[in-house]
Amino acid sequence: MALSERHYDTILAPWITEKGTLLSEVNQVIFQVPLTATKPEIKEAVEALFKVKVKAVNTIRVQGKTKRFKGVLGKRNDFKKAIITLADGETIDVTTGL
Amino acid sequence: MQIVEKSAEGLSRVYGVTFAASLIATRTDAKIAELAPQLNIKGFRKGKVPVVHVKRMYGKSIMGDVVNELVQEGVEGAMTSNGVRAASQPDVTNLGKLAEVMDGKADLTFDVELDIMPDFTPADIQALSVTRPVAEATDAEIDEALAEIAKQSPSYEAKKGKAADGDAVVCNFVGKINGVEFDGGKADGSTVVLGSNTYIPGFEEQLVGVKAGDEKVLNVTFPAEYGVPSLAGQAATFDVTVVEVKKPVETKIDDELAKNLGLSDLATLKEAIKKNIEDQFAALSRQKAKRSLLDALDATHSFDLPPKMLAAEFDAIWAQVTQDKAAGNEDPEDAGKSEDELKADYMKIAERRVRLGLVLAELGRVNGVEVKDEEVARAIQAEAARFPGQERQVYEFFQKNPNAVASLRAPLYEEKVVDFVLQMAKVEDVKVSRAELESEDEVAPAADAKPAKKAPAKAKAKKEAAPAEEAPVEAAAEEKPAPKKKAPAKKKAD
Repeated sequence: MALSERHYDTILAPWITEKGTLLSEVNQVIFQVPLTATKPEIKEAVEALFKVKVKAVNTIRVQGKTKRFKGVLGKRNDFKKAIITLADGETIDVTTGL
Repeated sequence: MQIVEKSAEGLSRVYGVTFAASLIATRTDAKIAELAPQLNIKGFRKGKVPVVHVKRMYGKSIMGDVVNELVQEGVEGAMTSNGVRAASQPDVTNLGKLAEVMDGKADLTFDVELDIMPDFTPADIQALSVTRPVAEATDAEIDEALAEIAKQSPSYEAKKGKAADGDAVVCNFVGKINGVEFDGGKADGSTVVLGSNTYIPGFEEQLVGVKAGDEKVLNVTFPAEYGVPSLAGQAATFDVTVVEVKKPVETKIDDELAKNLGLSDLATLKEAIKKNIEDQFAALSRQKAKRSLLDALDATHSFDLPPKMLAAEFDAIWAQVTQDKAAGNEDPEDAGKSEDELKADYMKIAERRVRLGLVLAELGRVNGVEVKDEEVARAIQAEAARFPGQERQVYEFFQKNPNAVASLRAPLYEEKVVDFVLQMAKVEDVKVSRAELESEDEVAPAADAKPAKKAPAKAKAKKEAAPAEEAPVEAAAEEKPAPKKKAPAKKKAD
């Protein structure tokens, strides 16, 4: 798959947390992706950007928390996480960046 | 860690140091393991960051630290394992391919280049013989000083008749401009010495010829550049009432004079003068004794000098010389000598300084001479006192600049070592006259500044010797006990 700008827009950032790093043991990586990204798009982008084979993509829409500031209700932005399961033997080093 | 001596030439040494890649890796891991439980990274609970992740994120920079530490260790190891003391800041060269080392593929290798301390035993200081010229204050000198003091505090006695030039007139006066009194123009019982030109022009002159009890109006004009702008250039009148006319008399050297100076009687005044003169003498004879001591030390020691130290010293001197030359202060003795000749001359001086510095430092080290903190504090106070009104800034400067403190410490250290040695050495007191003591070493310094082998005809070193000699010796002296302070102390040298 040829690399294109679209791919860069699909993967926003690695999701580096305790849980995210733990998942690397089962060959999974978490990325933050746009709310509009679909599983096939994410798969395509990861495969193009990191040159790896993706086995499966799971996505979660995380609802932003409602916050009060001086009694006024506000809401944090929603976002989408994508949990990528890599094919056996593939790895992504999330710390090096693109 | 493996250390190989790669070359040993004179006092220069080159050691090759190698650390295995595995050592670097284990050190890095240990450091990370130590770090991980305290790390607080976003997305992780405090201390729960997996070691693997830390390594991936910060591995490189931690490894850099480790490599730095190892280089330090290697330098120290190279010195301790070979039992040498560094006379210069060791240079690390030939650092192997760092990128590969960082990847853990290559061993860390580097060379340590340093000058070692020459191995010498300082001469037995008790066997040193030093001559110390001493002079005593003679009665004639005290009388002379007394006469000088008397001259500076003239006395007057009342006289009848008219005031002449040189007399003192005690008077009350009121100054007026256009008939109106002005501020500061009024005084009662002030003493006007005629002809002393302490008052505005015309004032003293018009008082010539007055008698006690006279009243007189003086017409004067303030000078255009008078300190008070409102009065400058104004014509003024002074209504003067003369209270007394006094004539100058020769000040008698008696108890009265002493009382005027705040002392109880003449004997104490004499005593004070004597003490003052003898203090001066003591300082002078100490200076001479020190010089004689340095000569003796220079003569009794000969050993190879660390080339880097020598070069640094020479550079400092040479920079000074070229600077003087550029400023047009060339030493007349230097004129007409070729640059090479000059360089050779100054090299000799540099050698002497470095050698003496090393010897003094060694003596201080062997005999456990130390500069105490109070002494440094006192030196800082003295330094602060030189800048009245800015004491606080001076203190702050010294607090913030350990280098500056080191440069104060160095001369203290040198003085202490010299004092110590002077105590131990055989000091022969030679009685000399005052003139001899004060004579600024027409002969001595030439021999002093130059090593003995130097042709004695060149007295040129005179200028160089006296002021410059002190500093570098101190610098070097400081250098050895604490090699890390080297840089600051060196700076001080020029």
